[in-house]
Amino acid sequence: MSTRDKKIVLDVQNLKLYFRTQAGPVQAVDDVSFQLRAGHTLAVVGESGCGKTSLAKAILRLLPRNISTYTGSIIFDGQDIMKYDDEKFRREIRWHNIASVPQASMNSLNPVIRIEDQLVEPLLIHERISRQQARTRVAEVFEIVGLPVDFLQRYPFELSGGMRQRAIIAMALASNPKLIVLDEPSSALDLLSQANLMNVLKRVKQQTDATFILITHDIGTASELADEIAVMYAGKMVEYSSAQYFYTDAHHPYSQKLMASVPTLREDKELEFIPGQPPSLINPPTGCRFAERCEKRFEKCSMQPDTTYLENGSTVQCWLFEETGEVKHA
Amino acid sequence: MPSLARTLPEEQPTQQKAVLRVEDLHTWFEVRRMGFFKAGDVRALDGASFELYAGETISIVGESGCGKSTLAKTILGINHITKGSIFFDDEDLSTLDKEGWKRYRSNIGYIQQDPYGALPPFMTVKRILEEPMKINGVRDKAEQTRRIRQVLEEVKLAPIEDFLPKFPHMLSGGQQQRLVIARAMVLEPKMLIADEPVSMLDASVRVEILQLLQALQRRHNLAILYITHDLSTVRYFSERIFAMYGGKIIEKSSTAALLEQPLHPYTAALFEATSDPDAENLKTFKDVPAGEPPSLMNPPPGCRFHPRCRKMIKGLCDVQIPPEFWVQEDHAAACWLYKDEV
Ligand SMILES: Nc1ncnc2c1ncn2[C@@H]1O[C@H](COP(=O)(O)OP(=O)(O)OP(=O)(O)O)[C@@H](O)[C@H]1O
Ligand SMILES: Nc1ncnc2c1ncn2[C@@H]1O[C@H](COP(=O)(O)OP(=O)(O)O)[C@@H](O)[C@H]1O
Ligand code: SF4
Ligand code: SF4
Ligand SMILES: [Mg+2]
Ligand SMILES: [Mg+2]
Repeated sequence: MSTRDKKIVLDVQNLKLYFRTQAGPVQAVDDVSFQLRAGHTLAVVGESGCGKTSLAKAILRLLPRNISTYTGSIIFDGQDIMKYDDEKFRREIRWHNIASVPQASMNSLNPVIRIEDQLVEPLLIHERISRQQARTRVAEVFEIVGLPVDFLQRYPFELSGGMRQRAIIAMALASNPKLIVLDEPSSALDLLSQANLMNVLKRVKQQTDATFILITHDIGTASELADEIAVMYAGKMVEYSSAQYFYTDAHHPYSQKLMASVPTLREDKELEFIPGQPPSLINPPTGCRFAERCEKRFEKCSMQPDTTYLENGSTVQCWLFEETGEVKHA
Repeated sequence: MPSLARTLPEEQPTQQKAVLRVEDLHTWFEVRRMGFFKAGDVRALDGASFELYAGETISIVGESGCGKSTLAKTILGINHITKGSIFFDDEDLSTLDKEGWKRYRSNIGYIQQDPYGALPPFMTVKRILEEPMKINGVRDKAEQTRRIRQVLEEVKLAPIEDFLPKFPHMLSGGQQQRLVIARAMVLEPKMLIADEPVSMLDASVRVEILQLLQALQRRHNLAILYITHDLSTVRYFSERIFAMYGGKIIEKSSTAALLEQPLHPYTAALFEATSDPDAENLKTFKDVPAGEPPSLMNPPPGCRFHPRCRKMIKGLCDVQIPPEFWVQEDHAAACWLYKDEV
C-alpha cells in the first residue's frame, strides 16, 4: 500500500485557540489546517512560544479556563469531534482513541505508588476489563517500550528519567489509541537516553501502526521519527511538508532560516541566526507574521498570505508561492 | 554572516601561553546520613589535568551528572578542592591571599547554566552591571559608565538607554543571556567559563549567542571553557574538545581529530546518539549502549564505562583504571583499547 492510499485519520481545518488575557486575546493557534494519514508521524517544530503545545491541547481538548476562541473542525476517524460535548469527548476520544504524553510528564508519576498500579488504574476506569486483564495489558506495553517487566513493581524514584519517560509512554499505549500526541518527549533526557527513547518510539511505530504527533523544537531528533514536518511560527502553521524534502528543500523563508540555524555534527555548514524576535501573539501583525524578519518580503506581504498547495504535496503560507501552486484562499 | 565553522578551528591561539593550568584536580562531596554519620563521598570530579590557552576555546561535553559544572565551580572557587591544584597565569591559587583571590575572580567571567535564574529579578540592567564593579573596586563613576556602555554595545543590547532601566523579566531569553554575558565581561576578564550558556534557548538564538561569544573572544583574546551536553554545537565553537564520563575526562582532542574519529567508546556513543536533520534517519536504529551512568559514590572499579561497554576487555577494563593514552599528537583517550597504539 503506498502512503497515498493510507486513510486520513486526522483532518484539522481552520483550528483556532485563543487565550483570554488582560492585554487581549493571545492567538496561540490561528487558523491551522492539516491532514495526517494513519501510521504516519507528524513532527510539529518551531521556536518556543509559537503554539506547539497549544495545538496539542486544542486537539486533545485539554484546555485551560481562559479560552476566548476555540473553533474549527477536527475530523478524527471520519467524525467531527469538535461537535462532541465534553462528556462524549472524554468517554470516546481522549485516552481511548487519542492518547497524550504531555510536556515534562515524566515527573508526573506519583512517587509513592508502584508503577504497575499507576498504569493499571486508568485501564480499570476507562475500559471494562478485569484487573488481571489490565495487568496483562500493562506487562505487554512495558515490553513494547523495552522495560523489564519486573520494574512494574518498583516506585518511580527507583527508575531513571529515561525509564520513567518510557513508563509514561507505555501508559499512553495501554489503551491501544489510534493517535498519540507526544509533547517534547525526550527534551529533558540525556543524549543516550534520548537516542534510546527514539529507538523505542520507532519500534512502537513499526509494531503498532500507531499515528503520532511529535512536538519538538529539536529538528535533528524530529528527523528520527517524522514522516511529515509542520512548521509553526507565531501561531500559524506556515509550512507542512513531507520530511523527505523538508530538511534540504524547505520552502517557507522562515523554515529555510530555521534550518540554517540548526548546527550539525557531521556536516560543516555556515550557521545563521534570524535577527529580531517573533511578534507578540496579542495583536500580531495583520499581514504575514514573519514579514518583519523576512529578507524576501514585498508589498503583498502586508496581507496575510493564502495557503498554497504545491505539487509535491507540501503546503506553504507565503506570497512567494502564489504562482507555483494551487492557492486556497483564506 | 561570518562562518563560525571555517575560520575558527584552523586559527591557532594567538599566544601559546596557558592562562589556566589544572593539575590532578579532585572535588569530592561528603555525603552524611542522618546529619552526621559519614556515608561516603560523591566523587564528582576525580582527577582532571589540562591547560587552557589565551584565545582558545575548550568544549567540555558529557551527560548530566558527569561533573562538568563541578569542574567549572571548582575552578571558580565555589567548590572546594579535595586534591590537586589550579594555576592561573602561573600562579598557584592555593598561595593567594584574600586580595589575590579577588583579583583572580575578577579575571574569570562566569556564564551560568540557567539564564532565567542567573539574574536578580529586582535589579535594573544598570544595577546588574554596576554590582560586580562595586564589589571589585571599580568605584570611579565615569569608568563604570564607560564599561557599561562598552559591554552593552558588545553584546548588542541597543539602544543602550532603552535597556539600562529595564528589569530582567522585560527581556527575552536571548536578551537575558546577552545581559549575563555583559555582566561576565564588565570586569574585563581574561577567561570565560560558559556552563551550558545556550541550552535553554531556541536554535536561532543559540547561534546568535555563540557568535557573540566568539566575537568577544577574538576582540579580547579570551580563553573560554565552554561546557555543553550538545555535541552538535562544538565543531563551530572550539579548538579542542574534552569528553567527560563519571567524574573523569575520558577523551581529549583537537576538534578536527575528534570529528574525524572519536576514540573512546563513550564518546563514539555520544556521536552516534546525536541526530543531524536527515530523512535517512527514519530507516535506522541508533546503536547506543543501554544502562545509566555510574553512581559517583560507588563508582565501578577499573574503567567507569565498563559495565556498559561492548568492547570491554575482561580482567583488564573491570580491574584497572585506564590511563590517558596519546594515540595522536592532538588526541588522547583514557581507554585500554589504545594501550598498544602509543
Ligand atoms: N493559558 C494561557 N493563557 C494565556 N496565554 C497562554 C496560555 N497558554 C499558552 N499561552 C501563550 O500562548 C503562546 C503559545 O504557547 P505554547 O505553550 O503553545 O508554545 P510552545 O510552542 O509549546 O512553546 P515551548 O516550545 O516553549 O513549549 C505563548 O505566547 C504562550 O505564552
Ligand atoms: N554541592 C554538591 N554536593 C553534593 N553533590 C554534588 C554537589 N554538586 C554536584 N554534586 C554531584 O556531583 C555530580 C556531578 O554534578 P555536576 O558537576 O553538576 O554535573 P554536570 O554539570 O555534568 O551535569 C552529580 O552526581 C551531582 O549530584
Ligand atoms: S509572505 Fe512575504 S514576508 Fe511572509 S515569508 Fe513570504 S515573502 Fe516573507
Ligand atoms: S577501557 Fe575498556 S571498558 Fe573502558 S571504554 Fe575502553 S574498552 Fe570500554
Ligand atoms: Mg510547549
Ligand atoms: Mg551542569
